[in-house]
Amino acid sequence: MPQLDTSTWLVTIIAMILTLFILIQLKFHKYSYPLSPAPKTFKSTSFPTPWETKWTKFYSPLLLPQQ
Amino acid sequence: MNENLFSSFITPTMMGLPIVILIIMFPTLLFPTPTRLINNRLVSAQQWLAQLILKQMMMMHSPKGRTWALMLISLIMFIGSTNLLGLLPHSFTPTTQLSMNLGMAIPLWAGAVITGFRYKTKASLAHFLPQGTPVPLIPMLVIIETISLFIQPMALAVRLTANITAGHLLMHLIGSAALALISISPTTALITFIILILLTILEFAVALIQAYVFTLLVSLYLHDNT
Repeated sequence: MPQLDTSTWLVTIIAMILTLFILIQLKFHKYSYPLSPAPKTFKSTSFPTPWETKWTKFYSPLLLPQQ
Repeated sequence: MNENLFSSFITPTMMGLPIVILIIMFPTLLFPTPTRLINNRLVSAQQWLAQLILKQMMMMHSPKGRTWALMLISLIMFIGSTNLLGLLPHSFTPTTQLSMNLGMAIPLWAGAVITGFRYKTKASLAHFLPQGTPVPLIPMLVIIETISLFIQPMALAVRLTANITAGHLLMHLIGSAALALISISPTTALITFIILILLTILEFAVALIQAYVFTLLVSLYLHDNT
């Protein structure tokens, strides 16, 4: 039975390992399945700092009415 | 007669060059890489098929088992396409070679088992003794379970080899019988030809089923061990 002729086994196995583990996986890892586009919720990621939660006037010398 | 019958299973070499390498690599040409956002029909159809297979196969696995998704989808596509291409007349089917099937089965099975031993040692060792066995039977049962574990890769390889080889041999025999019968009795030749057509349809199914069974069993061994 020709399948039991072990002289060709090394070539076959190396070719198969190359194909299966490298070539075919290179083809399939490029497949991407993006989710359908959906609108993003507008949520702000920056939180107001404690001194900005309440509006306060702040006084700085250069902002005072010039005399 | 023996020489002629098995000649399609000899590993092809052309003037000393092993063109079997090119034959094994050929199915990769049939799967183009997707480069666009919206691809052409062939690539989209293959992506759809891959997604269908992946959803079905990876549903039962834990997140650790799902890291094998790329390996399993490559495996089933490789074996399926190789088997289907082998149904073309005068082609060489690499999956009829025991060498290739052993080379596929042993590393994949060993990977699954070693993963099981590394991460869930107690559970993997517990597989050797089914629950609720009577105490006197324990030694014999451990031996039986060990044998059945080590025979898994051999069975995987030999199952695929034998199924595809037997199918090809049968088609070869019935085809040459139909050809020889034409000059003797055309009606019998027609019946034999119809048998050949039915057999070819069966072989299409077998080609796909064998790919599926191989991958499913590897997936099962993985599930046991993750």
